[in-house]
Amino acid sequence: MSAVMKAPDVRDAYLASLAPDVHSLAGPGPEWLNALRAEAAACVNSQPYPTTQDEEWRFTDFGLLRKTAFASAADISLEVSLADIEPFVLPESEKSRLVFVNGIYAPHLSACAGLPQGVVISNLAAGLPLHDAVIRTHLAQQVDFHNEAFAALNTSHIRDGALVLITKDTACPAPIHLLFIATGADMPQANYPRCLIIADAGSTCALIEDYVCLNQGVYFTSAVSEITLGENAAVEHTRLQRESLSAFHMAYGAVALARGSNYTAHNIAFGARISRHDLRIKQNGEAAQCTLNGLALISGRQIADTHTVMDHTKPNGQSTQLHKCIADGGAHAVFNGKIFVRKDAQHTNAAQQSRNLLLSNKARIDTKPQLEIFADDVKCAHGATVSQLETEEMFYLNSRGLDALTARNLLIYGFAEEIVDRIPVTSLIKQLSKTLSEQILEHT
Amino acid sequence: MSTTLEALINRPYEYGFVTDIESDAIPKGLSEDVIRLISKKKNEPDWLLEFRLNAYRHWLTMTEPVWANVSHAKIDYQDIIYYSAPKPKKKLASMDEVDPELLRTFEKLGVPMHERKMLANVAVDVIFDSVSVTTTYKEKLAEVGIIFCSFSEAVQHHPELVKQYLGSVVPSADNFFAALNSAVFTDGSFCYIPKNTRCPMDLSTYFRINNAESGQFERTLIIAEEGSHVSYLEGCTAPRFDTNQLHAAVVELVVLDNAEIKYSTVQNWYAGDENGVGGIYNFVTKRGLCKGVNSKISWTQVETGSAITWKYPSCVLLGDNSIGEFYSVALTNHHQQADTGTKMIHIGKNTRSRIVSKGISAGQSNNSYRGLVKISAKADGARNYSQCDSMLIGSACGAHTFPYIEVMNSTAKVEHEASTSRIGEDQMFYFASRGIGGEEAVSMIINGFCKEVFNHLPMEFAVEATKLLGLKLEGSVG
Repeated sequence: MSAVMKAPDVRDAYLASLAPDVHSLAGPGPEWLNALRAEAAACVNSQPYPTTQDEEWRFTDFGLLRKTAFASAADISLEVSLADIEPFVLPESEKSRLVFVNGIYAPHLSACAGLPQGVVISNLAAGLPLHDAVIRTHLAQQVDFHNEAFAALNTSHIRDGALVLITKDTACPAPIHLLFIATGADMPQANYPRCLIIADAGSTCALIEDYVCLNQGVYFTSAVSEITLGENAAVEHTRLQRESLSAFHMAYGAVALARGSNYTAHNIAFGARISRHDLRIKQNGEAAQCTLNGLALISGRQIADTHTVMDHTKPNGQSTQLHKCIADGGAHAVFNGKIFVRKDAQHTNAAQQSRNLLLSNKARIDTKPQLEIFADDVKCAHGATVSQLETEEMFYLNSRGLDALTARNLLIYGFAEEIVDRIPVTSLIKQLSKTLSEQILEHT
Repeated sequence: MSTTLEALINRPYEYGFVTDIESDAIPKGLSEDVIRLISKKKNEPDWLLEFRLNAYRHWLTMTEPVWANVSHAKIDYQDIIYYSAPKPKKKLASMDEVDPELLRTFEKLGVPMHERKMLANVAVDVIFDSVSVTTTYKEKLAEVGIIFCSFSEAVQHHPELVKQYLGSVVPSADNFFAALNSAVFTDGSFCYIPKNTRCPMDLSTYFRINNAESGQFERTLIIAEEGSHVSYLEGCTAPRFDTNQLHAAVVELVVLDNAEIKYSTVQNWYAGDENGVGGIYNFVTKRGLCKGVNSKISWTQVETGSAITWKYPSCVLLGDNSIGEFYSVALTNHHQQADTGTKMIHIGKNTRSRIVSKGISAGQSNNSYRGLVKISAKADGARNYSQCDSMLIGSACGAHTFPYIEVMNSTAKVEHEASTSRIGEDQMFYFASRGIGGEEAVSMIINGFCKEVFNHLPMEFAVEATKLLGLKLEGSVG
């Protein structure tokens, strides 16, 4: 018997069809990157395709994805012009924008001029020769691709991606806009966007990770983002998922917090036929703080699944989470929020709320807030509600002359706006508020 | 827990079986032959044997569930004796012969004298003759037409009722342990409340008429006909010793129109020693079906014993306007593990459910609440409120909450909240400054924490449960 444990080969033909072929694994990048990609490709083969039989995938059936064959995206970035992306451009980020078309870097659409010293915003391929050591230390270190088939798939496809490095005690003056455009081409394509964000000790920055589409086509986005915060660093991260309504979106986010750092996230999901966002946050240092805001507004036959893990491993940590789902039509919203408080994480203060609005009898909401506590001197609470619009609130608005439809839309808007309003970029709030009212109108 | 109590619990039960065990036990292991033998020994009708065999055949295709937040060594199902006839215990002449430690526990719990004697297996004197007590009870119940007997008796005397309802709430293939129970159950309780009858007293298992050991694979079936009402008590606060490690019971409740069942449990089985060696694995399937309109099921449980508790008393709210309630206190100490909670399945219109769960973890124990609230598409106007609070005592224990909320109806209202707290030094100081000692203070704080649940226990149970928690936590807070 061989003493070496080998990962079982449970090769799933569909996943294998998405994985890069062996020849392309040896790319032009550094040797360690090729090795990493090969390791990830092996992991794709050692993991089964997730089904509703798996506890973590119980409510979200990704079986539909399997019915479509996706080709790896070709570089058609030059076919996209600045005018095409105009609706998504944020004036605040005019000089701090990276644009990717189908996951491939588009330099002619990006703008990263006049950045202060200590701020690096570039594509990963260009950043590699300059920051090889830093990238090597952090890339694929946080996302658990050994146990997540789709994270492994993305990792095996790393060619390029977004790279943000903020050096010690530097404040990035403008929000950084990472715009991922899907063209929604005629042929179903698979895109593999990747983000690596490292905020060194004492630095601050605001990030906008934005997934948009130009056409309502069928495509598959498998995204991975890794964020590392140094001591006392602060990152405010807005993540927008406004993919095509026929698209599949599967994303992993992993965030590591050092002592005294502060991470705030606004996760907004409007699009995709089936979407799933897995966010894992680990407080590795004392007194780290974390705020998570989430909103999913879906209708038709959309499925939006958000899984978050908030892991408190050191004392005096804090976390606050508010996740809202609005499901109309035959939509299905899923929320699973885990909070771990490890043995050493005394004096943790963790609060989590899941608020859900169910607007139709064909819609469905599954929510599972989950607490696992191993320390005794902590303050932890969670709450979950599923409800519909209050008749009293409706009556109030009616009595002030608003017709039923206007009143309804106003209440839904108000429910969602609470999350949108927390985004730190004014132009984006405007953009989203407009989308929000349009979407609510569309559903009625 | 005090050392004396530990000693008591760890002591092998000395006053137990004296008859030759070999004479009426069948060999270890499980097979169709063993099931046929059990059925034959119990003189069961063919349909019941068929029920058992079907369950067994299905059980063979199932695998042991691994999703619960507990860990234990693999159970060897072929290493269990599945049938042994009820054995008469040696009667003791007087209370003087009873183990003094057991007496101390009774003293602390305030168990009434005649009950102490029954529990300690002392021959009861003329005044409190258990036979006469139970006979009086039996007469009283028969007057109003209530059937309350052991499951085996019910199979012999009321086969039509058993046949109609057995497996109707917990199908024999429901889950691994329910299937095992359905195949090999030996006895249990049966209770039938006729139409428009209010049971005149709380029915309690340890006053059950035939007084035989209910055993390892217990089966309980309670049927409340239209407009009836019954309050049923299971278990008792006194520590219960048992040589069987695995317990897989099934409890089925059926409630028809406008009827109500209130089911209260106090469980204090052997929990293993302070190093987590030994102790009972309590894997129970309890489910009630609110079949009729305006029906109601209320589960109240105080779980303090067993090395592992795996238990989810559930309500299927099928009838319109039916109500399900679940009130639970689960306490774990040392290396105990509890994964307990409830399921509320809303199917009928305007169904309501309420869940109040209090978990207390001490020592190196782990205590999990796992609950499901499911509102199906047709359950218009369904309403649920859940609250689960955890208390941690010491820094080596764990408290976990796994609430599943699945809503498919847009007129439903579901609320869930959970919190975690501990006994703070400031609270202890406050008590101390008012001259209240440590143990008493802990007892009072715990009592306050669990009050909402204890309020739903029958009076005498509530009093004993309060003391029991204090007793179980002795020495945990320093």
